Amino acid sequence: MWAQYFEQFINGLVQGGIYALIAVGYTMVYGIIQLINFAHGEIYMFGAYFGLILITVFHIPFWIALPLAMLLCALLGMLIDYVAYRPLRTAPRLSALITAIGISIALQNLARMFWTAEPQVYPTDSLPSIFVSGLNDMGEVINVIPLPGGGTLPYRDVFILLIAVALMIILNLLIYYTRIGKAMRACAQNAVAANLMGINANRVILATFAVGSALGAVAGVMVGLSENVTPTMGYYKGVAAFAAAVLGGIGSVTGAIVGGLLIGLAEAFGADFHSGYRIAFAYIIMILVILIRPTGLFGKATSKRA
Amino acid sequence: MRMWFVGVLILGLITFSGCQPSDKTADNATDNTTDDTQEAQQELKIAVAAPLTGGSAAFGEMIRKGAELKQKEINEAGGINGRMLTIVFKDDAGKESEATLVAEGIANDKKILAVVGHFNSRCTLSGQEIYDRAGIVEFSPGSTNITVCELSKWTFRNLYHDGFQGKFIAQYIDDVLTEIETVAVFFHNDDYGRGLRDAFVAEAEKIGLMIVASEAYEEDTTNFKAQLTSIKAKKPDAIFISGLYAQAGLIVKQAREAGVTSQFYGADGIDNEVFLTTAGSRAAEGTYITTPFVFGEDDPKAKEMAANFVEHHNVPPDTWAALTYDAVGMIAEALEKTYNPEAELAENRKAIREHLAAIDTPEEGYMGVTGLTYFDHNGDTVNKPAYVKVVKDGKFVPAEKQLLDKK
Repeated sequence: MWAQYFEQFINGLVQGGIYALIAVGYTMVYGIIQLINFAHGEIYMFGAYFGLILITVFHIPFWIALPLAMLLCALLGMLIDYVAYRPLRTAPRLSALITAIGISIALQNLARMFWTAEPQVYPTDSLPSIFVSGLNDMGEVINVIPLPGGGTLPYRDVFILLIAVALMIILNLLIYYTRIGKAMRACAQNAVAANLMGINANRVILATFAVGSALGAVAGVMVGLSENVTPTMGYYKGVAAFAAAVLGGIGSVTGAIVGGLLIGLAEAFGADFHSGYRIAFAYIIMILVILIRPTGLFGKATSKRA
Repeated sequence: MRMWFVGVLILGLITFSGCQPSDKTADNATDNTTDDTQEAQQELKIAVAAPLTGGSAAFGEMIRKGAELKQKEINEAGGINGRMLTIVFKDDAGKESEATLVAEGIANDKKILAVVGHFNSRCTLSGQEIYDRAGIVEFSPGSTNITVCELSKWTFRNLYHDGFQGKFIAQYIDDVLTEIETVAVFFHNDDYGRGLRDAFVAEAEKIGLMIVASEAYEEDTTNFKAQLTSIKAKKPDAIFISGLYAQAGLIVKQAREAGVTSQFYGADGIDNEVFLTTAGSRAAEGTYITTPFVFGEDDPKAKEMAANFVEHHNVPPDTWAALTYDAVGMIAEALEKTYNPEAELAENRKAIREHLAAIDTPEEGYMGVTGLTYFDHNGDTVNKPAYVKVVKDGKFVPAEKQLLDKK
């Protein structure tokens, strides 16, 4: 019984780590320009495809393909901001929101054009062998850490957790200990005042999109390793990550991380309790939190946003 | 530069909404209504509605290929009473909402005489009401949900339904895979997945097969770890997946990673190569599935069709290609016997239904590559057996023991 709960806890943490990586992208952009970037789920999807293409078409080793996919997604995120959002900076917020939805649909269909709607998988023979868990010829489960009670934790999932934690630490260092981080926080507090102080707000916003999109790319590649890659994959995880960002308090990076983990755990235990309502549990928790604390767990009306 | 990018995005949108991949036949078809009397005598038009994109797209692809082959053969042999058969391919993306739109479009098309489709049970059911109101035959080569044919006199199918398939799977496990005593059911929460689960569970309970867990997953789910963890805790001898190939592939892959050693059993929704590539051949090894048809070595008709198919499409046909091939053949036969160029559209549509409904005994049945097809009073095919395939060395092969006498 407890072994099963422990295993669900691990399942939830791994899923939560993915949600957190995506949620950070939503929350950072919201923090700085108060825009819910609905195209972020599609950036994550493009990250998964970039990784897949780099590995299968260009035969680039995984360890180089991952940072390259991050770079490509960062460029994509900046391009979207430059083309679609920057012209609307002074327009009513609703215009930017509608544009975000439009970009999301357009990106989904571009992906369908480029790579068809057929689900694709990362080829196991071009991945580092420690990421390929499963049965070997002897019928033993390989590349996993055995858990008490017969469960297993694939090395890949350990890597997902480690890289999520590492990136979150780096992100916090970036926001609190670098010049660009300081500029992000300044813009989040008051973009006009920051501009008057000589901060190029547009450049800071571009940097924010780049960082958020790169983290989304990591999530995309990680999900590609264990699940499949489709043009619509960004929708479901994007919505869950958005819920995580709202739960944690949109605009707060810490909130996005905690929210992501909570949504992941709620899904795992919800599925254990009643699989038909797996997704509902995550949203019930979100709604309850919002009812009690409308700003989310870590959101404060005057909080430092970045 | 900015305008250029916006241009690309708009292009993407247009491509999505305007151009379904297989509409080229539709473009070739004469759609101008100005000189319709002249054209109507030249060609007979039917629609094939299938999931050409989306989560069942691999099935849709085979359905399209099967229909194209039959169309080519009919037209090369001189058409239907001298008139060419034209097929319009409509994409329902495997979604209820899209299926409804497709059905509206077909029902309002003044030239389409009958529909072969849809594939997914939920799509056939969504389109049904519209076809029923318009009075047009909906001939599914793939929907197996029990209620599909009961609900409308305009709906037919040329394969078994899940009442039979679910029962068959339970009996196969009980009779052949005798070491299996406990089964967990993992089902897709849609019309197909739930219907098949219900039929399976009902029979399993009757014959004393123990159901130890019944877990659901949704359309968009790609991570099944949480449900697999709770299934694993029940230690089932076998896991029955009531769902479609892409998700089933992920389930098997993630289950093996999680150390699940249970035997996997699936139904016809898994009968596609994508299941094997998604799961990985090692994880999929030994998985049993049920399917309405297999290409046997000793059936000359099926062998010939398979050879022609390979020649035309460069890939071997599968179950769904064969069933679609036969469905198009039956509609063509109905057109040959009933089409009256003088009559109204509604009368011609109705005549097809009357013809099909009259095929209700083995003597009157249509002999196609998938065997003899005739209908009961609902429009169901009840005589066709279920075949069992097993994954061996990374390929689907017919299982050693078949239970073909169960009907």
